[in-house]
Amino acid sequence: MKKTKFPIFTTLLVVVFLLFWVGLISGNILWTSNTPPLQVIPDMDVQTRVQPQRLNTFFATRSATRAPLEHTVPRYGEIYRPTTPEEAEEEYRNTLPNNAITLARGKNRYGVYCTPCHGASGEGEGSVAARSVTLKPPSLIAEAALARSHSDARLFHIISAGQNIMPGYRDKLKEVDRWAVVNYIREMQREAGGYFWTAEAAAAQASALEESEEDGESEGGTE
Amino acid sequence: MFTENVDKRIKLSFKIGGVLLAFVGLSAYFGLHPRVSDVGYRPEQPVPYSHKLHAGDLGIKCMYCHSSVESSAHSAVPSTSTCMNCHKAVLPDSPKLELVRESSKTGMPIEWRKVHKLPDYVNFNHSRHIRSGIDCASCHGEVETMGVVTQMQPLNMGWCLDCHRNPQDHVVPAREISGIFMGAKTYEEVAADWQNSIPTWGDGKWLSEKSFVPGFNGTIMNGWKEEDRLDPKAVAVMKEAAEKGFEGVAFASHAFEYDAPAAEGMFVPKKPSLGPENCGACHY
Repeated sequence: MKKTKFPIFTTLLVVVFLLFWVGLISGNILWTSNTPPLQVIPDMDVQTRVQPQRLNTFFATRSATRAPLEHTVPRYGEIYRPTTPEEAEEEYRNTLPNNAITLARGKNRYGVYCTPCHGASGEGEGSVAARSVTLKPPSLIAEAALARSHSDARLFHIISAGQNIMPGYRDKLKEVDRWAVVNYIREMQREAGGYFWTAEAAAAQASALEESEEDGESEGGTE
Repeated sequence: MFTENVDKRIKLSFKIGGVLLAFVGLSAYFGLHPRVSDVGYRPEQPVPYSHKLHAGDLGIKCMYCHSSVESSAHSAVPSTSTCMNCHKAVLPDSPKLELVRESSKTGMPIEWRKVHKLPDYVNFNHSRHIRSGIDCASCHGEVETMGVVTQMQPLNMGWCLDCHRNPQDHVVPAREISGIFMGAKTYEEVAADWQNSIPTWGDGKWLSEKSFVPGFNGTIMNGWKEEDRLDPKAVAVMKEAAEKGFEGVAFASHAFEYDAPAAEGMFVPKKPSLGPENCGACHY
C-alpha cells in the first residue's frame, strides 16, 4: 500500500485562510471598501425628510441646506453692518471682561482660526502662509506692526469683515469670540512690549459712542 | 439501504455540507455586525482632499473647517468658501481643485460622500459631546493621519452604550489638534478629569448593565425589577437622590453641572459626566 504524505501545504493554507477569516469577521482586520455598507434590515434608517447637508434633488442646488433669502434677519446672533474700520469704531467698543477664561477662549479661537496664517506667536509664520508665495500675513506683535496702533474696534472689524486677502470670520466666530480674540492679541502685544492704542483712547471712543447714541436717540425722538 | 460506496458518499456530503453551512452561517452572523460591515467604509471623494496633509502636516485644527461642531447638533462639512479662504492664495491653479473653484463660482455645492452615517431616528448631538471634552477621535478615529477618511468605529447602539456606561475606558479626551475649548483647563487636566473625577460604585465602574436606569424624568423604566437588577450601592444613591427630587444626580441627563459663562453668549465647557444612559433621554 502506498504511504500517503501528510498534506502540509494544504493544511497551512486552510489554517491561514481560517485565521484570516476569523480575524475579519471578528472585526480585528480592517477591510476598507469604497461601496456603502450593506444594510440587511434597513428599518427606518433612511427617512424621507430634510436633513442638514443631505442630498435633496427637489432643489436646484441638489442640497437640503438652503441659502437664506435676501434681507433675511437672523433670529439669533447679529448682522454685522460696518463696511469700513471707521464705521466699526463708531458702532462697536470692547466691553468683554479680561479674565482667565475669556483670555483662554481668545487663545483657543486664535489657535483655531488665526494660527494657520498668523502663527501661534503672532509673527506671521503660520504653516499655511509658509506654503504660499502670495500669502504674507503681517506680524501682529512686531515693533512696527500696524496691529499695535489699531484700536480694538478696528481689529474687531478686520476679524469680522476681513482685509486685503484675509477673509472675514464673522460666519465662524460669534461676536463675543471675536472680542475674545482681540483681547488675546492685546495680551500677546503686551507681552511683546505693549501697544500704542491706549486706555485714554479707549475712554475717548467710549464717550464719543455714548454721545452719538444720545444724538441718535434725540434724532429718533424728533422724527 | 444503499451500497457501501453510496452510503459513504452520502455521509461525507452531509459532513462537508454541515461544515459549509456552519461556515456560511457564522460568517453571515458575525460578518454583518456593524463592526465588520460598517467599519472600513472608505469612499473616494469628488475632490481628493487629504486630512493628513491639512490637519496632520499643516496643523490646521479640526474646528477651522468643521466650525459648527461646538454649537450645533450637526457638524457641518465646510462650504466651498472655507476652502477658498486659503486656496485663493495657496495653489490657486491646482488641477485637483478645479471642482472647488467651479463650486465657488457657481454656488453649486460639491457633492461629498458621507462617511459616518447614523440612522435618521438617532438624535445624536455633536455639541454636547464636544462640550464635555470628548475628542473627535473617540468616534472618528485619528482623522489627521488619514489620507482618505475611513470609518473606524461601528457607530451602532451597543457601541454608544458601551461608552455611556463606562466612558473612562473609551473616551479619547480633547486633544490640541481638535481645537476644543475647555476653559482655563489644560488638555491634560481634562484627561485626568475623565479618569478620576467620575463617581464610581460597585465593581469600580460607573454603571454596569445591572445598574439602575432612571427614566428621563427620574422614573424607573418599565420592565426593570428593582431587586433583580439593581446594584445595591446604586439603589442607595438613587433613593437618596429621589428624596431630593433627582437634583444633582451624576448620570441623569437633565442634571449636568455647568459653570457660569465668562461672558454673555460665550461657550461653556461641561464637567465630565455620564450623559443619558437611558433611551428616554432622547427618544421621548
